[in-house]
Amino acid sequence: MRRAFALVFLAFLLTLPLWLQDPYLLHILITTGIFTIAAMSLNLLLGYTGQLSLGHVAFFGIGAYVSALTTLGFDVDIGPWTFVHEPWPVMAGFVLAVLISGLCGYLIGKLSFRVRGAYFVIVTISFAEVVRLVALNWVDLTQGPLALNNIPAFALSVPGLGEHTLWGKVPNYYLVLAVAVAAYILIKRLVGSRIGRAMVALKENESLAVSVGIDVTRYLVLAAIISAALAGAAGSLYAHYVKIIDPEIFLFIYTVTMVIMVVAGGKGTLAGPVVGGLIFGTLPVLLRSYLGPEFQWIFYGLFMIFIVFVLPQGIVPAVEQRLFPSTREPPPEALATVEPAKGEPQ
Amino acid sequence: MLNMTKLGGRALLAATFAVGFAAAATAQTKIGIIQPLTGPAAASGNYVANGAKIAVEEINAKGGVLGQKVELVIEDNKSNPTEAAAVAEKLITRDKVPVLMGAWGSSFTLAVMPKLMEYKVPMLVETSSSGKITTSGNPYIFRISPPSAVEAEAFAPKVQALGIKKVDFLVVNNDWGRGAADDFSKMLKSKGIQVGLVETMDQAAQDISAQLNKIKNSDADTLIITTAVEQLTLAFKQAAALGLKRRIITTGGSQNPDQLVEHAGAAANSTMHLTFFTPWKPEMSGNPEAAKAFIEEWKKRGYPFAGLTESFRGYDGIRTIVAAIEKAGKAEPEAIRAALWNVELKGMNGPIKFQKAGPAGKESGQSYPGVYLITIEDGKIIVPQS
Amino acid sequence: MGQFLQHLVNTLILGGTYALLGIGLTLIFGIMRVVNFTHGELYAFGAYAVFALSMLLGANFFLALVLALLGGMALGALIEIVLLRPMRGADIDTTMLVMIGAWIIMQNLEMLTWGGVAKAVVTPFPEVPLVIGSVSVSYLRVFVLVMALVLIAATYFLINRTKLGKAMRATFQDADTAALMGVSINRIYTATFAIGSGLAAAAGALLGPVFLAFPTMGDLAALKSFAIVILGGLGSITGATIGGFILAFVEELGAGYVSSGYRDAMGFVIIILVLMFRPTGLFARAERIG
Repeated sequence: MRRAFALVFLAFLLTLPLWLQDPYLLHILITTGIFTIAAMSLNLLLGYTGQLSLGHVAFFGIGAYVSALTTLGFDVDIGPWTFVHEPWPVMAGFVLAVLISGLCGYLIGKLSFRVRGAYFVIVTISFAEVVRLVALNWVDLTQGPLALNNIPAFALSVPGLGEHTLWGKVPNYYLVLAVAVAAYILIKRLVGSRIGRAMVALKENESLAVSVGIDVTRYLVLAAIISAALAGAAGSLYAHYVKIIDPEIFLFIYTVTMVIMVVAGGKGTLAGPVVGGLIFGTLPVLLRSYLGPEFQWIFYGLFMIFIVFVLPQGIVPAVEQRLFPSTREPPPEALATVEPAKGEPQ
Repeated sequence: MLNMTKLGGRALLAATFAVGFAAAATAQTKIGIIQPLTGPAAASGNYVANGAKIAVEEINAKGGVLGQKVELVIEDNKSNPTEAAAVAEKLITRDKVPVLMGAWGSSFTLAVMPKLMEYKVPMLVETSSSGKITTSGNPYIFRISPPSAVEAEAFAPKVQALGIKKVDFLVVNNDWGRGAADDFSKMLKSKGIQVGLVETMDQAAQDISAQLNKIKNSDADTLIITTAVEQLTLAFKQAAALGLKRRIITTGGSQNPDQLVEHAGAAANSTMHLTFFTPWKPEMSGNPEAAKAFIEEWKKRGYPFAGLTESFRGYDGIRTIVAAIEKAGKAEPEAIRAALWNVELKGMNGPIKFQKAGPAGKESGQSYPGVYLITIEDGKIIVPQS
Repeated sequence: MGQFLQHLVNTLILGGTYALLGIGLTLIFGIMRVVNFTHGELYAFGAYAVFALSMLLGANFFLALVLALLGGMALGALIEIVLLRPMRGADIDTTMLVMIGAWIIMQNLEMLTWGGVAKAVVTPFPEVPLVIGSVSVSYLRVFVLVMALVLIAATYFLINRTKLGKAMRATFQDADTAALMGVSINRIYTATFAIGSGLAAAAGALLGPVFLAFPTMGDLAALKSFAIVILGGLGSITGATIGGFILAFVEELGAGYVSSGYRDAMGFVIIILVLMFRPTGLFARAERIG
């Protein structure tokens, strides 16, 4: 039943460009898809390991900058040395974006998982701010507030078939959809594996997990690496689709958008970020014809409070309980509820 | 003061609603506007948008263009380049505007430019001054504001008269500020004048005392500042607080001198400003009658007088675009682009007529307006005779 | 040397308001275990309140400052009663989400009310600076420092010398025991949140006229408050006071001698370093309040 639902939804998304010709709506769907991938990656930390990482946009932004700079080329002076980098193909940019974001996830994970609770939250926010200020001030490399403009469009190189540049909206739509599906399957596999069960155990009761021999930091860092790498992939897609990025990509509000997507959809569920992403990605566009952007944000804020107060598990688990009450085996992730933190020193 | 701020706020609120509702209407000639309505350049962007609205109402009162009413679709670029590109995409693909005006800051305009190439839609640039805009080979760009090189040339004759020997720069860290520092340095060096420090500040920076402190310890006699009115006010106040005594000249035409007098008080005294419109002496304008009428209308709406040095660009920009639509005979991008080359108009600061600029075969249009150097003395604005 | 002295004077002035921000946030965290994302919006509220009262309604500038402080306290109390009281017992991450929601709402209400154009407050202080040797400082900034010190002293007095302060300290040490001893926890929480918010509003009211009031001004203020509080150790008032001055010092010297562009980065680098090497903050040997 659940699987059939997912397949019908995928078929709907696959055929969408055939009957939806409006370029603007396609544009919105593409950006929504990119942010949904980012939200899915955040869910891995926020939902499955229970770590409220509020610096997630840093990995998204790093992915975007790495990919853009790889494909645009740059030359910077560091002390007496000059580094010149000639433009590389977009595929190389994408791969580097994933790798370097993942590496940053490793470093930040190693450092910040030494602290928990409020400290962890503030370290992650601080990290994103430092990265923003570096992007703003290292003008030689990043162009700072002048923005990195004219970033090349995504180009797929298939051995034997040559290179195909994705100019139009439709190919970009399918590219984002493909990456999103790949990310979904990757997360699904991961969560279903031994590693995933260890992560969930951590969230449920960290001290118990430790006592049964789970290496907490190792699993958290692993989650951080995968999460950051996926966010970097989303950032790369974003850079080559909108073709311009500037340091404001690192603003806290973007992390908050991802958090709203995850929390509203249902943290710790596979479908949660997808549902949350689609709702909060497309809603502003529908609202914008009638209301100023301020109202849209006020609505976001109210919705966030509403979700926490009324539907703490999020939309997906709530709907699932209604639709499939007979599901024999409830997914382990749906067990998560709001309860007083045990690890937090009182 | 009381009136000005209240009305300003209300106008913005009204603008927000107007933008929202306007998108739903149809069967009118649409013009897309991209301005910084929020963020560090918000004061200037709102003035330009309000100037544009006056032009549209005036045009619609006379029957519109090609028998249709003109409708503005105004979008906020939030003083950010990526946002500028995003709203350009929205205006072109969703609202299907055949022509744009914007995007105030050079970095915002440069961000929009690839979209113009992609969708083949022309844009009238009303404020941006970076040289790059008209030299990069974008045939959809038509600019009525002076590039900073032109501004520097206009200032060149005054350099000797003022007895300038060495100049420091304090500029906003974007294409506008950096472009102005480059072009003015070039002009000054060609006259044998020394150029000292070039300090930059982020457009959102509020505390500029570190840069000013450095400048205080230099031996230059003149400081050229390029940024928008909000940051200028802070820079003047902080320079005064540090006891920085130096000739200060500002460039870029976004100073709103009356606002500087009001907010910076004595700190604004003896400063000089390169502006592109003289609302204090409308008879000096390239089109005195229109200027007087515009100033009257502006005051009647309760907008602050200070905004006039900015808002006239919006007014002139829209009149230029509508003249092009009239000439084109249809509100279609390619026809408007072609017609813009043939527009001749008496603008507020001189005739508007586009000349070719940039690489051959894909030239941008550039009009060359007047530049004036005004001085603030004892809280009064002194306008030169010529 | 003259330049260094100037930086020291600037440090004192900036540090005073930073300390106010930090104390407000650390009180709330220490007693309530709430990471208050609305702190920056209370700061913005203070600045806009002074603007509205003195520039629009023509009230006396000093009266406007007092009213901004009181208004901030009232707003803080309201947030506590409406949003936090129903959340007692929820874990820290959940309340954080609610506070993030409140932050977004407040910031956009400011945007709707005041528009995106920054507001300047004209004060009764002269623009001509006070010059002592090679150091030059505006009278307004000196006034800001004095007021900040007065408020810091008042907070110390409140915590250490009043009955309310005693109850707050008892709640900080052990909320359950305090409740058994007859302390009304709800009242203490509301009072704490109101005082913390009032201090943030006061900081905004004092710095607003020095700089400008604009809708997103609270963002950086909130993040810097986090930095100050981490530096001093969550829950420590003395730590937050010293943390405020340290952050100002590092920012001033960083901006003056390293790079003005990285001024705002200093605080965050400090946070990361402190948490790496001394996760409980510099001054919190034993977490305590007062």
